[in-house]
Amino acid sequence: MTLESTLLVIALMATPFAAALLTAVLPSKILPHWAYEVLHAFSLTIVCVSALYLAITVVLNGENVQALGSWFYLDALGAVFIFLIGAVGLLAGWYSLPYLRHKVGNDTLSNRQVKHYYFFFNLFIFTMLVAVLSNNIIMMWVAIEATTLATVFLVALYNNRFSLEAAWKYLIICTVGVAFGLYGTLLVYANGASALADSSQAIFWTSLVGSGAPFDPLLMQIAFVFAVVGFGTKAGLFPLHTWLPDAHSEAPSPVSALLSGVLLKCAVLIIMRFYTLAVETLGSGFPQMIMLIIGIVSVIIAAFAMLMQDDVKRLLAYSSCENIGIVALCLGFGGPLGIAAALLHCVFHGFIKALLFCLTGNLDMKYGTRELSKIKGVLQVAPATAVLLVIGFVSLAGFPPFALFVSEVLAIIAAVVSGNIIVVVIFGLVLTVVIAACFRAISKMVLSKAPEDAAKGEVGVFALVPQILLVVVILWFGVAMPQQLFKGIEAATAIVLQEEGNVLLEAPVIKDLFDE
Amino acid sequence: MLFGFDIAGFAIASVVVPFVAAILIIVCKQAAAKWLSLGAGSLSFFATALVWIGFAGIEAERVHSGLISLGKVEVLGLVFDQISVMLASCFVVIGLIITVYSIGYLSSKNREHADAPRRSFYVFFTLFIGAMAGLVYSSTLVGQLVFFEITGACSWALIRYYGTKTANRAALKALILTHVGTLGLFLAIGILFFQTGSLGIGAIALLDDHWKTVLLLCVLFAAWAKSAQLPFYMWLPSAMEAPTPVSAYLHGASMVKAGVAVFARVLTEAGAIPEIIGWVAAIAAVITLLFSFFMYLPQRDLKRLLAFSTISQLSYIFLGFAFFILGSSLAFEGALMHIFNHAFAKTLFFLVAGALSFTLGTRLLPHIKGVLKKQPLLGVGFAVGALAIAGVPPLNGFFSKFAIFSGSFQAAAGDFLLMTIVVVALVETVVCFAWFVKWIGSVLPGEPSEVVASATPLPKSMSFTLVLLIIMVFVSSFIAAAWLG
Amino acid sequence: MSGYIIVNILSTLLILTSLVLILAKSPRKAAYIYGTQALVLVAILITLGSASGAHGLYTWSITAFITKVILVPAILLFALKKMKPQQEDMPPRLAPTVTVALTVVIVVLCVLVVSGITLPTALEVKPALAVSLALFFIGITCIISQRSIIKQIFGFCLMENGSHVSLALLAPEAPMLVEIGIATDAVLVVIVMVIMATRMYRTIGTLDANEITKLRG
Repeated sequence: MTLESTLLVIALMATPFAAALLTAVLPSKILPHWAYEVLHAFSLTIVCVSALYLAITVVLNGENVQALGSWFYLDALGAVFIFLIGAVGLLAGWYSLPYLRHKVGNDTLSNRQVKHYYFFFNLFIFTMLVAVLSNNIIMMWVAIEATTLATVFLVALYNNRFSLEAAWKYLIICTVGVAFGLYGTLLVYANGASALADSSQAIFWTSLVGSGAPFDPLLMQIAFVFAVVGFGTKAGLFPLHTWLPDAHSEAPSPVSALLSGVLLKCAVLIIMRFYTLAVETLGSGFPQMIMLIIGIVSVIIAAFAMLMQDDVKRLLAYSSCENIGIVALCLGFGGPLGIAAALLHCVFHGFIKALLFCLTGNLDMKYGTRELSKIKGVLQVAPATAVLLVIGFVSLAGFPPFALFVSEVLAIIAAVVSGNIIVVVIFGLVLTVVIAACFRAISKMVLSKAPEDAAKGEVGVFALVPQILLVVVILWFGVAMPQQLFKGIEAATAIVLQEEGNVLLEAPVIKDLFDE
Repeated sequence: MLFGFDIAGFAIASVVVPFVAAILIIVCKQAAAKWLSLGAGSLSFFATALVWIGFAGIEAERVHSGLISLGKVEVLGLVFDQISVMLASCFVVIGLIITVYSIGYLSSKNREHADAPRRSFYVFFTLFIGAMAGLVYSSTLVGQLVFFEITGACSWALIRYYGTKTANRAALKALILTHVGTLGLFLAIGILFFQTGSLGIGAIALLDDHWKTVLLLCVLFAAWAKSAQLPFYMWLPSAMEAPTPVSAYLHGASMVKAGVAVFARVLTEAGAIPEIIGWVAAIAAVITLLFSFFMYLPQRDLKRLLAFSTISQLSYIFLGFAFFILGSSLAFEGALMHIFNHAFAKTLFFLVAGALSFTLGTRLLPHIKGVLKKQPLLGVGFAVGALAIAGVPPLNGFFSKFAIFSGSFQAAAGDFLLMTIVVVALVETVVCFAWFVKWIGSVLPGEPSEVVASATPLPKSMSFTLVLLIIMVFVSSFIAAAWLG
Repeated sequence: MSGYIIVNILSTLLILTSLVLILAKSPRKAAYIYGTQALVLVAILITLGSASGAHGLYTWSITAFITKVILVPAILLFALKKMKPQQEDMPPRLAPTVTVALTVVIVVLCVLVVSGITLPTALEVKPALAVSLALFFIGITCIISQRSIIKQIFGFCLMENGSHVSLALLAPEAPMLVEIGIATDAVLVVIVMVIMATRMYRTIGTLDANEITKLRG
């Protein structure tokens, strides 16, 4: 652990926070827009660069970074997620610029609202980074709660009836859900405080994990269920997922991209941290059963809801529920392959969903609506957007050569290895429903006849570039996963399973075959 | 090695060139689309031909080369043997022929579907060709799954090309039903990896009997879905909503052939195969055979008639595989030959059907009479295609069916149930022949009916491909027999 | 009488106050009742501090007094003054008898669950622990059963009180920063909820959760 990385971790969190504060202080009446835009772009670029640098150093050196005592902590597991926050944050943040300019241009947003947007956007990034980097389990909870508070105003940005309703549902359901998370966290803490030799250490995840302390099993079971339900609310898992389609569809498109692409994954990370603790004290049976049940129910409900939607953003929102359900299922399958599949699915889905939500922003700019039945003939109206949309939906449906295919194949292998044949058959059939929903969307929007009066023209290169970059990433990860990512996933899997070494390549089946 | 290059390099080129071309078509202007598609198809065909020549020069029976590995696990790889080399060339060349044909077909002169060509057709058709080559060359189950899925997506886009409501529904039906089939491949991958830690198809031979049976049943399930066998057949008759060149490819050398190609690959590499698989495949094949037979009797739309005929021809191929498992290697050769031969015959017949609707504006058989007089080329093509499918010597269908049946009789000797299955199949062939002769008698000779008399001329690119295919229908069987025998 | 027995007795008062809070007709009254409940909570913290000898609990009781007894009711009363909702009392979704019955069921279930815990710090205060868990679920009952958005905010506060008491019972030695963090967070949530409620009141013109049903499907 070097001083330099410690400082960088602090700088990583401090940058968006400082940018948010500065945005709040600067008066919106005097300053032009671009002042905020420059600040916003500057902050997100620094976050992205330092997040990438930190993630790669942590993964390649295999050393963890601690900061501010043991309060903040970056391991390979966290590295996977700060990579996601940094990369998707920058691209969605970039897309925000043309999108907001368009909204200001047609008088949907005032100067003050733009200022609010940039303030809360940076605050949002900050809270996610804190959630991912916390080692203090109470701090994790506080940060997750803070993400709700930072984003609720972004969801309500347009300040009309629909967005306010969505924001209220989001606020009430998530705070209630996350209160479950608090209760679970407190139970774990109390459990640790009485079981660990040094009770002051009970608040740190690093000292709770691998301590071998005699935890009370019943309390731990209650705590795990509470944590999964609680943080699962934030992640969009059954049963408290009902806020998600509303909030993700009413938020401005770049915010939806970040909510679906990254925020849900941060909540998943917290669940993974609790999962590790639970597996250690309870054995893998109970936690895996809980994740399997919640996962498969989420996947089924969300997949069928996807088919019913006439609002493209609601469709995408339900698809987020479905994909987080897959992540939960992978955790339920367990084993090195299951965990690796879960982590990869988080990363891949993050990029794909960010792409698709940004594309709905393009559609919003061209058509001014989100209804599938009104968006017609994108191919003729905006060909570049159309091609990107097709790629996005095809990759969301899990088709090769795009990234999501890799994690889905891995998930199914993990399922067969774990012996959950019935679950995997159901899962496979439900994926077919998802495919139907995705291709139906392409069919209705992209390949239909454009209305006569539609104005042809693209949304502008500046808006398209971040989307093209996202497509490149999706294709790149699907065809040739970079070695750093593979190593990162492997190290992260080792942390979740609390095992040493190259867990993936030394998974029992593979090892038996080659180590003769 | 060929001209200093490994044959694997050519094989990769045959897959990658169409994929790159598809991207170029998206980026370039509309006018360039057909040339790019044509160029990619030709290059891909040359590459597969070079693979064939190169492989013929090697002594080895089976060459394997890995492409992508994770750790020690091979994820993607190529395999070359008699089957993959022959089938890849076949599927790609038919893709190329159909591309040439569609340049004439997709035009505003088309009397059934007057339509200016759009780029999306060429994008997905070119992709389709590359994916078929990739499917055949793949040495791992994951590779097969990847290309299996890509062909599914391509067929979706091509079937819904005309954008009508029925076309949309038919496209979704094809996508969904064949995707249900991939579930079998997914499970097979899981089982194989779980039991052997490998993804290569060759590892199937290492499995114990129990797991091998389960795995082969999973692959068989996938193959049924893709090859439109019961209980999945529904998507194929509906897929007639596609432009006729697309139907030709779906029936002749892509979608339905993908299923049997995957199954053939798995069978050759699986080592000793449990007999139960043979029984399941044989019984399913004969049920589908009878079913499709009763379905095509009442059809009057030429394309729907052909759809059910394809289903029954695919059942013959499955029957061949089944009798291979039950002990006859002749039946296997026959089945492989039938994949090859049927590809040319069925493509010919479809392209003739397309040419009829192009020039006449209808494809309802009762309205079409006296074709031979007005459009001799179409008349000859119709007769040759029909007779080849019915299995009349000296056309190609006869030789492969003959091999399947003689192999089947060998394997079935002494077993009453198996013999019944063979006899049922044989009866079907005979009746099928009679049925085609009836339509030939009604459509070809005599004075042209009103519809036929008003025929417009056929574009050169279309006539050229028809001539080429008629020749191939005569000779393909000899090529295949020489290669496999 | 040992301090733990007093804690257990005081904790039953938590259940009673929260029931009265749920059944209260006007949100204004509910705010006062909430303040009362917070006072009981402060009393529990102090008694627990003297019984267990954990002196951190005294400072804890002071922060709880400031945030829960003063700040939260004050914020809500201020907001209510600004909004002056016309239809002050909306009939609840569930009949009062059903709510009471539900509460009883929750308490019984929580007692059953808690009886299985073997943690040494929890042994003396099991009844109180059961009550704190029950309080958490009563908070949810309040959110589900009430139509008034203001009442739903109180429901959240009840849940928060429940987890607060549980923490105090199970881990009286918790570091200052933890409980300050939780307390501040709770106040922040209440503030954000009040801001959102005010904006909805201005834009939609109602505080009735039954009216907020435009988004479906």
